[in-house]
Amino acid sequence: MTIKYQSQKVALPYMQLSLLLFVLQVIMGLWLAANYAFTLPQGLIDVFSFATSRAIHTNLLVAWMLLGFMGGAYFILPVECERELHSTKVAWLQLILFAAAAVTAVVGFLFGWTQGKPLLEIPVPLDLVIVVAALLFLFNILMTVLQAKNRTVLQWMLVGGVLFLALMYLFGIPFYSSLNTDYYYWWWVIHLWVEGAWELITASIIAFVIIQVTGVERKVVEKWLYVETGLFLFTGIVGTGHHYYWIGAPDYWLWWGGIFSALEPLPILLMVVDTWFHIRERKNPIVNQLLWVYIVALAIFHFIGAGLFGFVHTLPPINYYTHGSQITVSHGHMAFFGAYALLNLTVFYFALPQFKGIERYKATAGYWGFWIMAVSMFLLGLVFGVAGILQVYLERFLDIGYSTAHITMMFWFKVALFFGVCFLAGTLTTVYHLFTLKPVEEERSR
Amino acid sequence: MELKNARMIFWGGTLVSAAIFGWMTYDFHQQGETLAHNSKIDDRVIAGKKVWHKYNCNNCHTILGFGGYYAPDMTKAYYRLGANNIIAIVMNPQEVYRNSFRKMPQLGVTKIEAQNLVAFLHWTANIENRQWPPQDEKYVKAARLRESHPEKLQKTDLVLGACGGCHSFANQGRDIAGDFGEIAKRITYDHDTLIRYMQNPKSVKPDSDMPPQNVSPETAGLIADFILSLR
Repeated sequence: MTIKYQSQKVALPYMQLSLLLFVLQVIMGLWLAANYAFTLPQGLIDVFSFATSRAIHTNLLVAWMLLGFMGGAYFILPVECERELHSTKVAWLQLILFAAAAVTAVVGFLFGWTQGKPLLEIPVPLDLVIVVAALLFLFNILMTVLQAKNRTVLQWMLVGGVLFLALMYLFGIPFYSSLNTDYYYWWWVIHLWVEGAWELITASIIAFVIIQVTGVERKVVEKWLYVETGLFLFTGIVGTGHHYYWIGAPDYWLWWGGIFSALEPLPILLMVVDTWFHIRERKNPIVNQLLWVYIVALAIFHFIGAGLFGFVHTLPPINYYTHGSQITVSHGHMAFFGAYALLNLTVFYFALPQFKGIERYKATAGYWGFWIMAVSMFLLGLVFGVAGILQVYLERFLDIGYSTAHITMMFWFKVALFFGVCFLAGTLTTVYHLFTLKPVEEERSR
Repeated sequence: MELKNARMIFWGGTLVSAAIFGWMTYDFHQQGETLAHNSKIDDRVIAGKKVWHKYNCNNCHTILGFGGYYAPDMTKAYYRLGANNIIAIVMNPQEVYRNSFRKMPQLGVTKIEAQNLVAFLHWTANIENRQWPPQDEKYVKAARLRESHPEKLQKTDLVLGACGGCHSFANQGRDIAGDFGEIAKRITYDHDTLIRYMQNPKSVKPDSDMPPQNVSPETAGLIADFILSLR
């Protein structure tokens, strides 16, 4: 299978850079675990503190996710619209701006140039560069969709998701004098991204991949797409309330936030069901099984990490004790890996062989990479969960003080560091495999 | 199901949820005064919030439960630690946490910045957030009791309110820098030297690890009386 449109090629550097940042993010994660597992000397943390490393870890996460989404959108839109992209020059300019802003941001963090808001540390001047890059992206995909040969639900869902994503980003830029209001709108970025805009983008991209790979009728897939995204937004928007229990918001948020967020796993469960149906009703033969494994894993891990692990501590009486503890870390890692890391990797496994014109690739290293990553991330999530339950029990139930509760964590973070190293091995194997895809022998001899 | 119905589910679900959320956002702003006392945000609170951002505090510490889980939550830190301890810790972390399993970086926070930070944390600690975090509620209650009934205060309350961030007495406070019972037996200073020591430890004992304390001579005098009475 080769690419159908020349302009799809612009997606390649996006995906390659995305993978590179993924590796860096994991390495920074190991360093964070080491901060917990050992007592580091004062001189070292004065220069390179946990706060700086965490800012880099989380910003690399956001950067590689967004690069993956943008690359994915550029790859699927020409096929979906049956025409070339509006402009590959704009796509290149956008990539350069985005990458320059990301690199400047990371170097800036090392020298203390930060806005000081978790996940949104990028200082305002760089925010503006990001906004310009986002506008270029929106312009480019909108022009492509407007000039499409045919109109599809999927195109508009994708454009809508990107527009939603870009709009929400703006709420994180201003300085709010009230911390209460600050965090109210902080969640408009973080929550409405991961449980709103990003879900729209994920759902549309995966719908495209499923149509292409399984050959299931478009009408059926698009119907599911509408229902799922509708439920995502219905539960997700008011579900933002589960972050407002303890920030000083009116009482009724406990009910609205609790009930709506308890329903949030529902659309993800639907995703698992429809993926299963589509694969069972497939019209196409399974060529590269690894890609199908990724599609199924995405659905299941998405449900476990974001759905189940989120559900267990989303209700107010439980959240009162678990809020702001390592339990959130457990959920965060499982959810981001399950929903978005696997989405990007699925798209990369769909797209990268096409750039090389490979029909069937050797998949051994890819399987190793996948299973090592999936198993170590699952165990990592459990270890964070154990550390979190201990923390909550010791610090908040028994009330024996922060230090005592956290000293017990050093052991569990040594275990986490071990699984982190395993995860890095899986990541490197996967990235190496994706960069060096080779066709299977029989094809070459033909 | 027809595509048309699926589309209606999408728009119906999205718009209903957005409408509820929009109304709740409006009400959140209406109640900002009752719940967060937004009118009490003065220049020092704002300056303090900027200090909080400038030193990237929020990537190690949580506040309102959000941020890094590496260091204690700061929502009720004003009541847990008190103004004086916050200033001492923020300005001299390498000394306060010399023997701790986890360190805080020396950030170079100035005195004025630290004072503004206290104003910010004081405002934050008064947000009506349904007694979260659970483990700090006892400090909030104790501090409110001290504020409302100063006449009932005993000397130990005063001493531990100011010094309990590092010193302990009768199993209260944190034993980082020694228990007052033992210190009283060890030291040889007189009343005035002790006051000088609190305000500028290095001027009395050059190799002292104790940070200078932001304490008035009157309060320092009371504390000195208390410690010397333990001999």
